[in-house]
Amino acid sequence: MTIYVAGFGVLGPGLPDAEACRAVLRAEETYQAGAVRVPVAEGLSANEARRCPTTARYVLDVGRQALRAAGWDAAGVATVLSSGSGDLEILDKNCRALAGTPVALSPTLFHNSVHNAAGGYWGIATGSRAATTSLSAYDDSFAAGLLEALTTVAPGRPCLLVAYDLPPPAALASVRKVSAPFAVALALSMEAPEGPCAGLSWEWGQASGEGASRMTSPALEALRLGNPAARSLPLLRALCGRRSETLSWAYPEGGALTVAIRFDA
Amino acid sequence: MMGIDIAIHRYTLTSAFGRGLAATRAGLMGGRSMLATHVLEDGFPCAIGRVPGIEDVVVPERLARYDCRNNRLAQLALETDGFGDAVAAVIREVGAGRVGVVIGTSTSGIATTEAAYRSAAFAKEGTLAADFPYRETHNVFSCADFVRRYLGAQGPALVVSTACSSSAKAFVAAARLVASRTCRAVIVGGVDSLCDTTLYGFHSLGLLSRGHPRPFSADRDGIGIGEAAGFALVGSPELFGARGGLHLVGAGESADAYHMTAPHPEALGAREAIAAALRDAAWGPGDVDYVHLHGTGTLHNDAAEDRGLARLGLATTPAGSTKGAVGHTLGAAGMCGVAFVGQGMDAGFMPGTANTLARDPAFHSDLLLAGRPGVIRRALVNTFGFGGSNCSLALEWRP
Repeated sequence: MTIYVAGFGVLGPGLPDAEACRAVLRAEETYQAGAVRVPVAEGLSANEARRCPTTARYVLDVGRQALRAAGWDAAGVATVLSSGSGDLEILDKNCRALAGTPVALSPTLFHNSVHNAAGGYWGIATGSRAATTSLSAYDDSFAAGLLEALTTVAPGRPCLLVAYDLPPPAALASVRKVSAPFAVALALSMEAPEGPCAGLSWEWGQASGEGASRMTSPALEALRLGNPAARSLPLLRALCGRRSETLSWAYPEGGALTVAIRFDA
Repeated sequence: MMGIDIAIHRYTLTSAFGRGLAATRAGLMGGRSMLATHVLEDGFPCAIGRVPGIEDVVVPERLARYDCRNNRLAQLALETDGFGDAVAAVIREVGAGRVGVVIGTSTSGIATTEAAYRSAAFAKEGTLAADFPYRETHNVFSCADFVRRYLGAQGPALVVSTACSSSAKAFVAAARLVASRTCRAVIVGGVDSLCDTTLYGFHSLGLLSRGHPRPFSADRDGIGIGEAAGFALVGSPELFGARGGLHLVGAGESADAYHMTAPHPEALGAREAIAAALRDAAWGPGDVDYVHLHGTGTLHNDAAEDRGLARLGLATTPAGSTKGAVGHTLGAAGMCGVAFVGQGMDAGFMPGTANTLARDPAFHSDLLLAGRPGVIRRALVNTFGFGGSNCSLALEWRP
């Protein structure tokens, strides 16, 4: 079975959007990390925008980028949101509130703390009532999300994968390392879009001797290792460079997702 | 998802009813509420459904860093009803790499971090100690990681965390892994444990019942939170020799796209999920023998669910909510629904609605107050979560 990539979105250090990403990933040595653009939370009312957590802003930003690139309306597009740690900033605030006397937990922070909060904001912002799921596989969350998205796509039923993670606040920095914010979105469908595009086929099997696919530039490789969502970089590089290649994402406890990327058009 | 056909080869549940399927069945048929009063710091008396014995569970030495209430609860369930042995047999048959793990949880082991934030060390340092086992206890993936290591499964492993629909959606994710032939079998689970985040969080939203939850009653005033762990070993019917028993034959997933915590007043998203489950299973409303309601006991959720069922022609289908009996087990609610319906099918019994004395007169559903004998061949399990994440499962019993 082949699933096509109809578009993608990205936001990370030195990678403000797909166009910039394309230029950088075709010539990795030109990569410079730099500051991360502030994500755009389009489609929310003023009230909702005020409540919308940073993680959900990243999801809205890259998700919209991918839909625009694919030329899709959000309605009818299922979403798979994958994040290794969810929103640790909110978690930190909630745990502080629970440790205080009296306990003063904010209702908004509580509902924003659920792992699928970003999925809720996506639905509210886009009006889409299509299926949405939120998952985690810790540092392997990109591969887990990609697999879930690839198996969610059906004839006439496209799927948007969004993977994201943000660095933790100071109190949690000792126990969870995420080096920089990174979010990526892939618009996937069973129907081939017009023009040259990547077709993906996949299998789950044992990890090859190589293990995970890596980046050539040390700075990009550090980013790949520093954020679970940035484990997508080898796939983005293949998409940007129109490279037909086979990539793999190995789980530490055995097993690996292997994805063959083919540009046939 | 189109055309699911997944055999639920073996399942187990540990909840406030007790440990295992025999206790579950006795609890369902007994019709009693297992909830106990729990007084919050501000004096608010809520109800909780606690699982006894979690404190005594000892996790294996090699997984010591995974030790937390949520994973102990998971282990308690894995060691019940021969579930671990059934998984071992399937791993021997198909290979560890072909057995996936998909767990639904909303709480994970967050209670461990809650406690750490209250410690003197945290007050002094302002950070968690570098050896604090965040990844193994609190991180949302922790439970699936624990389960795959505990059982030695090497297929894809993930946690689905969509609040109260988490474990229902875990079944659908597992069905996708089987249908795409990525996995031969999948260990599906729902594990949620009591913690202050959910107790005080739902209280902050005014959604906890003062006293005991009374789903679908006119005087309902909120939920009581329960904890539970359940697991199901699922695979293609061919793998399990096309045996009879419990099957997942359809599923519907949708989003409300309306509000983070309030359901759509016309239950649009919930209706779409139920309608999609019916379509997926190729059932009409008349084919459904029983509906395991989401039935949380909040003012708006129950009203929306009742309206949604009526609009879909399911008002005359016997329905019940078990949330007054064991509490709302949040991320484990879907798993509880599957186990309760499975036991109802097996026993020829339709579970009722513990704690509720009379149905809200404004409602239309055929709410069973007391459980009663009855054949369930086809049933729906509804779950609707925060963030407007809905999932309805279509279950069928095959002789």
